[in-house]
Amino acid sequence: MSRIAINEPVWHPAPARIALVVVSLWLGVFLVAPVLTMVGGFVQPADVSRVLARASTWRLVWFSLWQSALSVAVTLVVAAPVTWLIGLHRFRGRRLLRAATTVGFLLPSVVVATAFLAVLPRSLHYTMFAVVIAHVYFNIAVVVRVVGARLELLDAQLVNAARTLGASPITVWRTIVWPLIRGATAAAAAVIFLYCFTSFAVIRVLGGPRRSTMESDIALRAFGIGDISAATVLAVVQLIIVVGVIGLVRRLSGQEHQLYRLNTLPPTAVAHRQRLFAIGVATASTLFVLLPIAALLWRSVQVGDTLSLAAWRTIFDTSLAASIRASVRTALLAGVLGVTLAVLTTLAVVRLGAIGRLIDMFSIVALAVSPVTLGLGLVLTFDVGWFDWRAKWWFVAIAHTLVAFPLAVRVLVPAWRTIPIGLHQAAAVLGAGELRRLVDIDLRRMRPAIVASLGLVIAVSLGEFGAASLMSRSGGETMPVVIARLLSRTGDLVRAQAFVLASLLVVVCLAALMLVESALGRSDHVARR
Amino acid sequence: MLHVADLVVARGVRRVLDGVSLVVQRGERVAVHGPSGCGKTTLLHAIAGLVHINAGSIRLDHDDITHTRPHRRGVGLVFQDDQLFAHLDVADNVSYALRVRGAPQRERVTVAEEWLERVGLSGFQHRHTASLSGGEAKRVALARTLAGGPNIVLLDEPLSGLDDELHDQLLGDLRGLFEQLGTTVVHVTHDRAEGAALCHRSIEFATLSEKVIPRQT
Repeated sequence: MSRIAINEPVWHPAPARIALVVVSLWLGVFLVAPVLTMVGGFVQPADVSRVLARASTWRLVWFSLWQSALSVAVTLVVAAPVTWLIGLHRFRGRRLLRAATTVGFLLPSVVVATAFLAVLPRSLHYTMFAVVIAHVYFNIAVVVRVVGARLELLDAQLVNAARTLGASPITVWRTIVWPLIRGATAAAAAVIFLYCFTSFAVIRVLGGPRRSTMESDIALRAFGIGDISAATVLAVVQLIIVVGVIGLVRRLSGQEHQLYRLNTLPPTAVAHRQRLFAIGVATASTLFVLLPIAALLWRSVQVGDTLSLAAWRTIFDTSLAASIRASVRTALLAGVLGVTLAVLTTLAVVRLGAIGRLIDMFSIVALAVSPVTLGLGLVLTFDVGWFDWRAKWWFVAIAHTLVAFPLAVRVLVPAWRTIPIGLHQAAAVLGAGELRRLVDIDLRRMRPAIVASLGLVIAVSLGEFGAASLMSRSGGETMPVVIARLLSRTGDLVRAQAFVLASLLVVVCLAALMLVESALGRSDHVARR
Repeated sequence: MLHVADLVVARGVRRVLDGVSLVVQRGERVAVHGPSGCGKTTLLHAIAGLVHINAGSIRLDHDDITHTRPHRRGVGLVFQDDQLFAHLDVADNVSYALRVRGAPQRERVTVAEEWLERVGLSGFQHRHTASLSGGEAKRVALARTLAGGPNIVLLDEPLSGLDDELHDQLLGDLRGLFEQLGTTVVHVTHDRAEGAALCHRSIEFATLSEKVIPRQT
């Protein structure tokens, strides 16, 4: 069946142009203007040379770089066996195992950091081991999803062809499999590098007072020390590095498409002699994902050395309840705004040809602006007269909209492109105008994908920590902010309260993400019809 | 000589091959016919060592290769859909077997040129596999298999999907090449005329099973 192509003559792009205007305005006001205000209003040439001349700045850059590189290397090694298992084999429970390995990535970073506080012995708290293992926990999913997806496309017969030509399993790996997944592996490594480089919650909770990435130092300088110009210079340096890495990811992804000749053969069954190894890999991976969550739940009912529900009881009558309310209303507003923005962006991307591609690229570049940088820019920009929105609860939701909408766009664009052009042609000859077709065909068929993106934006908003930690005001702090605050205090009950909030976030985020998975399943089903 | 005896290959509880036996003399070309899904490809994959064998034995010349790893069998297989390595150019595809044996670059280049000439593709060394036509891809796949010097060549419907003219041309080329080299061949096809044109004898797949009476044509 023919699929929609960009710039098909059937389109009259009026709705897409309106969408483009709305999206441009929104991004211009809440993303571009804050970044420009930061750079133009708070950075003098003297500040740049002052910050860049400090040895501490370069120590910060160096630490951010090497801890990211180490995290990437360890993640690739840890994720390799389970990626091999899921990517190349068909077995009962494969989908479940893949979902389990994804859990870590989908949980809020502050929750993962808290979970590792719960599961690791005290001697390992505030160590590099704790930081790296938490980064690994997050990013296994990236390897499984990105490299595993490539492995799934690898035709088993290609491997068989090499074997019959005399290649041993290791030679097959070196000469056939590796060249075909090299690009995907590099892309996954770059994405992981990006996440670890801008790591904030993990460093704050698990790194201890002596460790700081650029991201956490930006927050510290801006709101701890009040050195806004230094924070801004660091934010710009970080932005340049991140944009560079994103460019690399795009380039590597492009190479992958040229390299591949796709096939649709399903993965093969696990070979007899590999069964024991496969079972071990599946069990170890599942335990690695589930143990920290179980420890979190366990520690939430432990006050000191005794089992107690005291911490759970306090969620109804203390500031914890306020944080839950703040998180829920922020996430709901961010969900509605974020999905609206994502749908409009997608409409512009799929209908406006070159301009659409430009918007698509910009939505990816928006990811380069880290939540802390974004929060800082918004706070510095909107602080005058009518536009002094810093104390408004909905201002955090605006920031979350910007953090989450690029991800929602990534869900919506592929789904929109699977809508058969024939449906539009049929509707058009039956008298349906452009707007009617948009509503009756596009939005109707896109409903599952829109629900999925709604779940995604809500989950991101619930767990977002960087921007919220800068923008939340006392009394209206979101759950991740309160978790970090509780963990920085002493006392068994307050720690247990942090574990309670983290446990609640796990449950709510997993529920939101199950909604995403099920909606995406329906979306695939709709696309196949 | 290839000697397959009482071969059983099961997938779960279903026996895909159930007591299959087959003898192919050195230099002989045998066509195996049968309807789709009867297990012809599985038989080739079992001989090549690509599937788990539940019972029976496979001997090649004097060696029992039943449980030998695929890359140590010396059995070449031409796949139905060619399975060219898309990340390698034509010459590197053809000389792949030499590369995995550690042959020097110069030898690999020479061998690739020689085999490409034999299959009528001189000058194709640096072409990307994606740029090949269906017939050219089949020739490269054949050259790749033969360049490795296998003791026996298994053909899994290698001429399917080609138009009549190209099919007949390639069939003639294959026959000429195999006669010149004296290659031992097991050729799986559903096209009886093709089997008769290329091979010394043909066998119905069903007759390979011990459950039915042999009926050779």
